[in-house]
Amino acid sequence: MKKLSFILVFSFIATLFWSFAPTNTGGDRLIGVWEPSNGRARVKIEKIGAKYYGKIVWIKEPIDPVTKKPKTDKNNPDPDLQKVPLMGYRMLKDFTYKGNDEWADGTIYDALNGSTYSCVIKMTNENTLNIRGYIGVSVLGRTDVWKRLVVKK
Amino acid sequence: MLFHSKFLPFTFVVAAFSTGSTIWAQVPENTDTIIVEEDYSLYDNVEYTEEGARRFCSPKIEGLSPAKLISIGYDYQMGYNMSADTLNSIQTSPGGGFNLNAQDAQLLSSHGMRIGFNIPVIAKTNLVWQLGGNYWEQRYNFADPASLENPMLKTLSAYGLKTAGISTTLFKPLNDKYFLLFQGSADYSGNYTLKDMMPLNYLKYSAALIYGKRPSELKQWGVGLARTYRVGEINYIPVVLYNSTDTQNKWGTEILFPARAHVRRTINSRNMLFAGYELEGQSYRMWNTSSVDAYQMRDDELEIRRGEIRLRMVYEFSLKEFIWMSIQAGYRINYRFDMDRLMNGEENYRAFGLIDDQPEYVMINNLTNPLYFNISINLVSP
Repeated sequence: MKKLSFILVFSFIATLFWSFAPTNTGGDRLIGVWEPSNGRARVKIEKIGAKYYGKIVWIKEPIDPVTKKPKTDKNNPDPDLQKVPLMGYRMLKDFTYKGNDEWADGTIYDALNGSTYSCVIKMTNENTLNIRGYIGVSVLGRTDVWKRLVVKK
Repeated sequence: MLFHSKFLPFTFVVAAFSTGSTIWAQVPENTDTIIVEEDYSLYDNVEYTEEGARRFCSPKIEGLSPAKLISIGYDYQMGYNMSADTLNSIQTSPGGGFNLNAQDAQLLSSHGMRIGFNIPVIAKTNLVWQLGGNYWEQRYNFADPASLENPMLKTLSAYGLKTAGISTTLFKPLNDKYFLLFQGSADYSGNYTLKDMMPLNYLKYSAALIYGKRPSELKQWGVGLARTYRVGEINYIPVVLYNSTDTQNKWGTEILFPARAHVRRTINSRNMLFAGYELEGQSYRMWNTSSVDAYQMRDDELEIRRGEIRLRMVYEFSLKEFIWMSIQAGYRINYRFDMDRLMNGEENYRAFGLIDDQPEYVMINNLTNPLYFNISINLVSP
């Protein structure tokens, strides 16, 4: 009986610790494939270390009409990076989970103009992200809604 | 496939991350590009996890010049001649015994600050709502201000003209191709000063509604109707939106006809040249007194209907990141600078004379056309 009580008490305390222990499992809900509202690209969000990154894995029009080759990051202000393919490009970088369905401290890259913006991600439900890119302060920004995708079997 | 040899040292396997494992703690120095072989065709065939998810078209197209969130600028017109008419219908105007002779006067310049902002309040996929404000002033630098006798010239010399306004813009995508665009503004225009403001009932309201289509990433067009003071007096006109970029992103158009139309030459995404025109104008209430006591120009029935065409070249470029500079040079062509009398405050709608050319303007003024320059520094939108 004593042994059983000990096991029960230990299990209860362990459960409490488990419940309140800081975990990042909530943050991992960001992992997956997402589509911006314009449907022009698909972005795969992954976790590297404790941070989250998103790379382009699909482009609606992948071929550059001028070069007839896969599109590159030609608008990048760094000439050395202008020949880097857009496919595989990390457009979301350095996000950390802040709790309350929010990932912050990251940046988003707009390949259309070669600009990088501060960014915060808010998950409104399991399949929807509000991605807000901004300059300096959040009020000077724009929010795009991304939808979660699944690969068809 | 190796995408870029520069990143060879940072090659790693994406699949290791996709499990969400926290064991992997090493973060590559450069996280811009994944340098691994991955079968991207995997992502060709996908579906939404959420039923009923919809795509919406963006308010922008590729290659479009960036929208200005905050703008601080200075406008300068070189010297020109202003011929002020005598004031007709004087029997209905206040006061008497003053010099109403027509007068020609030479200006050394006219110039003024132009400040504006346009901040997104709601910027979501299915709705973009922006609020804006602006303050423009036009100061008239006459060659010999002491010689001015005509009351309009005197009040322009003393107080200039000012416009302060608020505006709102709504972009509502209906689906991934069609959209509605609404813009409304209220402008407070006259020869008032901060110490002597006009009543708010002199606000002028403008609005435009456009129904448009965005058939591709490189083109958007629309048609609509506008209520505008762009040529000085109230008009209701059809408007046409046409923005486009060629497949090489070298040439494009940015057109909201008839308000403005430009051809764009993109040097690169941070350097753009434009050639085109803009219609500019407003109706200015003659609220303030002249600096000389001979004639009280304050007459709340009188308004200067100012409309001008600006043929111009514009160079816009990024100074640093989101700070852009805009430099304009062009020719300012006077369309109208006439004085109108609004009996009992009611607008005179003439429809360019097509419907009604009455009442006649109480002053028909003529301006010669100078070169002008405009420079502004801008914070541009994401």
